[in-house]
Amino acid sequence: MTDDGLKTVKKTVDQWRAEADAHEKAGRLDEAEALLAKIIAAKPNYHPAIQQAAVVSWKRKRPLEALARFERAMQLAPDEALYHRNVCEVLRAQGRLDDALAHGLRAVELAPNDSGSHYNLSVIRYDRLEIADGIASLQRALELDPKHASAHFELAEAFLLTGRFREGWEEYEWRFALPNAPPLLPPNDKPLWDGKPMPSGTLMLIGDQGFGDTIQFCRYIPLVAERCPNIIVACSSEMRPIVIQQKGIGQYYDRWENMPAFDAYCSLSGLPRLFDTNPANIPAAIPYVKADAAKSEHWRQRLDALTPPGYRRIALAWAGRPTHGNDFNRSIALNKLSALTALPKIAFVSVQKGEGQNQIGSYFGAAPLINLGVEIEDFTDTMGILANVDRLVTVDTGVAHLAGAMGRPVSILLPFAPDWRWMLDRSDTPWYPTVTLHRQDRPGHWPSAITKLIDTLQG
Amino acid sequence: MTVQAPTACPCGSGLRVARCCGLDLAAIGTGEATRHLLPLVDRAIALHGKGEIAEATKICLDVLELAPGQGGALAILYQVRRQTGPLSAAEALIRRMVALNPNNIWATQELALLLFGKGDFADAEGHARNAVRIAPDDVQSHNLMGMIMTELNRPQVGEYHYREALKLLPHKQPILLANLAWNLKNQGKMAESRALYGESVALDPTILQTLLGWARMEETDRNFARADELLDQAEKLAPNNQSILLQRAIVRSRVKDYDGALALLDSIAKLSRTGTLGPNEMLEKGRLLDKMGRFDEAFAAFVEGKRAALELSGNAYLEAHAAQLVERLKRYFTAERLKIVPRAKPITSGPRPLFIVGFPRSGTTMVEQTLSAHPKISAGDELTIVNDITELMPRMLNSPLAYPEALADLWMGDQREGLDNLRDYYLQRARQLGIIEPKTVWFTDKMPLNETHMGLIALMFPEAPIIHVLRHPLDVVLSVFSNHLTHGFYCANALDTIAKHYVLIADLVEHYRSQMTLKYLPIRYEDIVDDQESGVRRMLEFIGAAFDKRCLNFDENTRYARTASYAQVTEKLYDSSRYRYRRYLSHLRPVIPILEPVIKRLGYTIDD
Repeated sequence: MTDDGLKTVKKTVDQWRAEADAHEKAGRLDEAEALLAKIIAAKPNYHPAIQQAAVVSWKRKRPLEALARFERAMQLAPDEALYHRNVCEVLRAQGRLDDALAHGLRAVELAPNDSGSHYNLSVIRYDRLEIADGIASLQRALELDPKHASAHFELAEAFLLTGRFREGWEEYEWRFALPNAPPLLPPNDKPLWDGKPMPSGTLMLIGDQGFGDTIQFCRYIPLVAERCPNIIVACSSEMRPIVIQQKGIGQYYDRWENMPAFDAYCSLSGLPRLFDTNPANIPAAIPYVKADAAKSEHWRQRLDALTPPGYRRIALAWAGRPTHGNDFNRSIALNKLSALTALPKIAFVSVQKGEGQNQIGSYFGAAPLINLGVEIEDFTDTMGILANVDRLVTVDTGVAHLAGAMGRPVSILLPFAPDWRWMLDRSDTPWYPTVTLHRQDRPGHWPSAITKLIDTLQG
Repeated sequence: MTVQAPTACPCGSGLRVARCCGLDLAAIGTGEATRHLLPLVDRAIALHGKGEIAEATKICLDVLELAPGQGGALAILYQVRRQTGPLSAAEALIRRMVALNPNNIWATQELALLLFGKGDFADAEGHARNAVRIAPDDVQSHNLMGMIMTELNRPQVGEYHYREALKLLPHKQPILLANLAWNLKNQGKMAESRALYGESVALDPTILQTLLGWARMEETDRNFARADELLDQAEKLAPNNQSILLQRAIVRSRVKDYDGALALLDSIAKLSRTGTLGPNEMLEKGRLLDKMGRFDEAFAAFVEGKRAALELSGNAYLEAHAAQLVERLKRYFTAERLKIVPRAKPITSGPRPLFIVGFPRSGTTMVEQTLSAHPKISAGDELTIVNDITELMPRMLNSPLAYPEALADLWMGDQREGLDNLRDYYLQRARQLGIIEPKTVWFTDKMPLNETHMGLIALMFPEAPIIHVLRHPLDVVLSVFSNHLTHGFYCANALDTIAKHYVLIADLVEHYRSQMTLKYLPIRYEDIVDDQESGVRRMLEFIGAAFDKRCLNFDENTRYARTASYAQVTEKLYDSSRYRYRRYLSHLRPVIPILEPVIKRLGYTIDD
């Protein structure tokens, strides 16, 4: 093969596209881009290649380029359902929910039997909090493809969000079948625990999903222990100081290779289903997590030295893990909180970890902001800090659960369409009695949530 | 091997390189071996005494060709070069004398004086200290220390040495009295300073420098009429002297007689050899024109003043140096590394520092004047100690590396307390300066650009408040451009280099803040002008000091701040100091692309 491209090589355009597709699927995005660019240069109006390039742009995190390419492809082929379906997600991520909806509806109109189109439409409906319409789309998608795991999971979220817990928990079990979901545990021949008492056997509980989920659901461990006295927990080392505080744990393992024999297993996030949890019977023996006394004393001294005396200390976290699928919705730029920083006699204590820390450098609000995130080694430090602040203000991320489990006052800034666990139309949550929820009034509109937060802080 | 042709030494001494700056001092023979040349040297001395310079020079060159270490010939040639130039030759010769005989008190004092004259105070200090070591009962040794330490902004140490010198003399010496008076003026001790000037002039009313210094002192103390009288007196001694005219222009400007001041500056220009003003006078002229609302002419004067300053000093922005230091600091101060770097222990007793940082001309002087009006806060002014510690660090931590890499030695078993030592050194130096007033809890350190070393500051003082004064970057750049400043790797001599250094340091500060826990409060100059009380309360609360009304009347703070800002901080806050850049926007266009991102990040806008 020469590198002169299309003219000298006897390959069809579709063969080239297939090659680009293979690159894309294998994650070789630069190669895919280069190949597609050659095709488009040779055939500028060849819309399948343009749409394929749009997908590559999207994967290369160039949303505006992706959008422009999708628009070009749709201009050339206005009735291609796939293009409308795919552009939905790009528009959604841009917060352009009206446009996303229009294309989602158009995709369904053009391809009424494509389960993917119905599913994509349902995701937009969820973001718009048109939950009934979203559920209808999901049910249509599942009629067409009963094993569509993402649709099942989306349905779980819609049910749980609207308080239909029993149906929700059933659909929630599809989370392990989601594309790219890691296996819950290494292959084994043991059964999934059915929730029945197991007085002699050993039950392994597995901390799955994110840190927040583990903190939220480890509250069930003492209840499990009433049915199964022999509990071993498999969970990450980071979570250990939190999870280990739950009564009834025999042993804690953070590596599969050290795992002893067990007779049945269950994920922590599977426990609400087994306990038939509904909004009225959520176990909330708050606090079920406490800070270590020595750590708490260390951070008390540090905070006394760093924050002005007589100031309210507000711990702050504004960004979740950037790899979280919904991060663009839930995280907020630190400088968007400027209205908050004008409040008198408040000192912010950043517990932000990771990339979000870099925003501290360009924070110039009136209230001092102390970057403690860099001194946090593990969750024992986070707990020690939370024990010594007046309130945590955070977006929907793990630390919100930690403070809630400790019974500390928490304000969570929520996107218009929140995660299912915060439900709808309420500023409290049965999961954590000390948490106040501040919701966006309309999609993407943080000032509306921040105004409510300021009222709470001033009240 | 190549044989070099005998060439004249580039220092300008008149000797060959091999007998001058290329000389191997170890190869020089003993004085005994050159005794036969002594009659020649005696002859040169005699000729020099009679003013027969050319002949004396020729003999010295001959002697030094044969015996390049001959002290007498070196001394005569040095004096000739010192008088007629070039100065580089004089410096090379006197340095050689000191190197050959470190106990030569005359040569040591000469060298210190020469370096002082060049403005190379740090180097001068070392030799002046040697002079005191060699001859602790010599008046000139102490006088030199007094002069140098005063200029190095350590006037308390300088005062000590002036007073030692006075003790050594059987009678009052007028120049020494005037030197001490200038020193005391720098400490804000105006009454004492005035008395000494009076005494000095009574002893000898014909010393121009004394009258000028006294006039400066009175002007600083806002006795403008008295300053004018003293200048009248000086004028009689030296009619049409440029220094007198300049000082008079400054006085006219301070009483808001801008036309009068401008006319004086124009007369200086006419009197000068080149028909134009020197850099400082030109900048002064620009500032006058600015006050008169003649902005385009003002900017032209700034451009001309900076051009002349650059030409005269040769001090262009050391861009590569600055960039390299910042790069190394960013590489050293990372969250990951800092987890394993020890911190100095918190201060448990005694006054503690309070750092006021910011780019020059951001309002750090105003903030310091405001805060130091508080009964629990002493004013430290621009303390060079942090900078000195960065220089001394390799020695103090016994490290072969330079700062910041020398901090790697904190991991050595015998350097675990290294930061405590650096901290104690800082505190001890601060105490020695005598800046700490009784019953105060904090003392300020407002060295501009100390934010460059914010990482080190936080290691030495993990709990010390750092107040970062912010001001619209275009106002800062404009103001630096209209004043003579040497801070920041000589960035101040051109508009674009000021902007570049501003951005470089702003990025570094952002880096520190995202990588370290700092007790850091940004405060905007504009906000203080807008609502002084809120700003003052915020700063005092951050420090942990109770609110005190005196801070709101900082213009009544009698303390004299040495820096270029002093004439402004003695005036009430003025609104016209905000967003001055708008009048100069067309002139500032070239640096807007450099500054725009940081302007935005700081939350400022660019308005017409």
